[in-house]
Amino acid sequence: MVKQMRKHETRVITGNACAAYAVRLCRPDVVALYPITPQSEVVEQLTRFKADGLLDAEMIEVEGENSAMNAVTAACVAGGRVFTATASYGLAFMYDAMMQTAGFRAPVVMVNVNREIPGIHAVSAGQQDLISVRDIGWLQIIVEDDQEIIDAIIQAYRLAEDYEIQLPVMINYDGYYLSFSAEAVKIPMIEDVDEYLSILKKQPQRLKLEPGKSMGAGSHGLLQTYTELRYKHMAAMERAKAKFDAIDKEYGDFFGRYYGGQIEEYRTDDAEIILVTSGSATGTAKTVVDAVRENGQKVGLVKIRMYRPFPRERLTKVLQGRKAIGVLDRSVGFGWNCGPMYQEIRALTPEIGKVPLMSFIDGLANMDITIPNIERMIRDIQAAAEGKPYQETTWVSLEE
Amino acid sequence: MKKLTYPYESCWSNADELLLYLETGTWRTSRPKVDKEKCNYCGLCALYCPPQCMIDKGDHFEPNLEFCKGCGICARECPRKAITMVREE
Amino acid sequence: MVEKVKRLPRVFDYFVEKDQFAGGNTFCAGCPAELTLRTIPKVMGKDIVMLSCPCCAAPVMHGQNLGAWHKLAYYACVMTGVASSASGISRYYRKIGRDVTVVCFTGDGDANDVGFQPLSGAAERNEHIVYICYDNEGYMNTGNQRSSSTPIYAATSTTPVGKNQKGKTTVAKYLPLIMALHPVSYVATATLSHMEDYAKKLLKAKEKSKQGFAYIHVFAPCVIGFRINSDAAIQVCRMAVRTNYFPLWEMEDGVFRFTQTVGDPRPVQEYLSLCGKFSHLKEPEIAEVQKMVDERYSMLKALVEATAQKETASKT
Repeated sequence: MVKQMRKHETRVITGNACAAYAVRLCRPDVVALYPITPQSEVVEQLTRFKADGLLDAEMIEVEGENSAMNAVTAACVAGGRVFTATASYGLAFMYDAMMQTAGFRAPVVMVNVNREIPGIHAVSAGQQDLISVRDIGWLQIIVEDDQEIIDAIIQAYRLAEDYEIQLPVMINYDGYYLSFSAEAVKIPMIEDVDEYLSILKKQPQRLKLEPGKSMGAGSHGLLQTYTELRYKHMAAMERAKAKFDAIDKEYGDFFGRYYGGQIEEYRTDDAEIILVTSGSATGTAKTVVDAVRENGQKVGLVKIRMYRPFPRERLTKVLQGRKAIGVLDRSVGFGWNCGPMYQEIRALTPEIGKVPLMSFIDGLANMDITIPNIERMIRDIQAAAEGKPYQETTWVSLEE
Repeated sequence: MKKLTYPYESCWSNADELLLYLETGTWRTSRPKVDKEKCNYCGLCALYCPPQCMIDKGDHFEPNLEFCKGCGICARECPRKAITMVREE
Repeated sequence: MVEKVKRLPRVFDYFVEKDQFAGGNTFCAGCPAELTLRTIPKVMGKDIVMLSCPCCAAPVMHGQNLGAWHKLAYYACVMTGVASSASGISRYYRKIGRDVTVVCFTGDGDANDVGFQPLSGAAERNEHIVYICYDNEGYMNTGNQRSSSTPIYAATSTTPVGKNQKGKTTVAKYLPLIMALHPVSYVATATLSHMEDYAKKLLKAKEKSKQGFAYIHVFAPCVIGFRINSDAAIQVCRMAVRTNYFPLWEMEDGVFRFTQTVGDPRPVQEYLSLCGKFSHLKEPEIAEVQKMVDERYSMLKALVEATAQKETASKT
């Protein structure tokens, strides 16, 4: 389906550098920067681009992440294309500002390099930070490898600024595993990205702040108007699902890389059991799935790429008719004693039928999700498929 | 079908469509009375009036009673004591 | 018939634009913050972009659904995000080459407390914005709770007067001087009794914001919080200046100067006795406040003298 392969530049760079390279291609107007492990290289690389004349953006060296989000949201509402990056503690600090961004329907694109949240001090990978902000109305995408970081960021601007969507997008990638590891990646040419994003200019333009024009952003939502606005926000999130599928396909036609849209279905056609993953663990899991398939076992993998809005319809379709399903979470679902993605997939039971559904919690605080770990998960799912008793929630690294 | 009446996707106000005002004239318990004979048109009442409701009548000022809240600053600040606060009926 | 003055006082020349706010709004009767706010677009023009957050001005600055109480382009912030949002907006207009004056308008609670971090950050970056803080010495919109701008011994709803406590137990921050020690272009104090001084400073701030950060601290005593009559606000402002409780000064590119010299300052007791929130103060407390007022004034005087040479040096 690749009509014409566009020229790319190949480099061996870290995940963080990939993010910076991709943002540069999208020509943001305003970038707010504040360092936090494991993201600091993203903002460092962006300032190097600016200093070398390769990026023409206003770089605001803010004094905290809260200011970073407020600054880019306001610049976005004034009509600009913006960017910022953060991780766990910084994400928590910008929480009130992020709610404003979503409520204002400002198409901010942000990179969140996943790291464990405050509480148990950690400077290590985990998805709890993205989980902790899932209920404020942002779109959330989780990527698997360095190449996908580049492609997802470009797709994020296309999605966020689309006139029918107008929602902020968070690109998540695992700290340490992706942020600091280098891979050979293909970087598109800036003219091609200009062309790809130029469709946005042909759409109706969103409302923006205009000096001299009597419009005020962020007025009080009173009575029925508040409910109406919530309804519209939710409707936009629903539209984002099909839109993201279409955008990914369009991106594949343009640049030659297609990821499946909201979810990736890996060897699921004839799979009897399925493991659902997200983030960098997917790479390891795919290796194990391939190995297990060699032995004749019919295993498939589903990668959740778009987490918010939850890819309900696509997951329902791919998870139907299976003998058992396991969900790998790199986080916990407080209050439900299971992983959060497991919890949300469990909500699909009325449509997919009552089938053994298992939660695997692994990989917290930079504990590697190893090949033996995933082999164990697949063994457990297989056992459940065969009717043997199973645990609902398995804390993989704590098991004997 | 949902009944959606608000025109925008997020909460914007538009003063060209709807400029709000409160009938704050109903708040007051006394109103300013300007003695045109004593007034020397210095403008201090208009300067200090918080809701800026003093109307320039060419040779004196008069409050816009639709909005005047009856605070009494004009009467207090008038250097000629040309304004007195009179109880509302 | 008294002889009419030939023309209105000079201060009216500063009002180049008509009032951009609707007539009747939710400010209390006699509120000096209302006067502070309405004056801003009259002096700076109607093409400014204003920002504010939850505070006394918010019910007027924020719209209600589709409706608005003013005709300005406006951006509503959370309390933690005023100066930072203004930075973003200002930088965007700079990027696209548009000359826009971005004006923040918040109370002392936001500027001193919850919004101080972004304010300080924006000042350090010398962002091209104007930040106007109206100081009513407390969180007035929520019912007169203390802020770090509330003076010592003031009675507020969170620092009441009772058997065990005589109002606020700590001295207030003096934010204008704190801002002047940031690398900013312009800082000024102003109040409503000296309207021409205020208007001049608004215009100066607008000009200076083309090169850097401009901060104006306006003393705007809350009628309810200060426990004064609705007609007394201007008089209280005037007495605050006359007693040196609130000296009027400005700092421009590192040079401090008084814009109003009070030749024979009145004892601060004359200001304190006007405000009901200080009615419980006795001799020792009043003496303490007098001492603080005098010390603060001496500090400002020293800064004026120290930087005067800088001004003469730059002029020669």
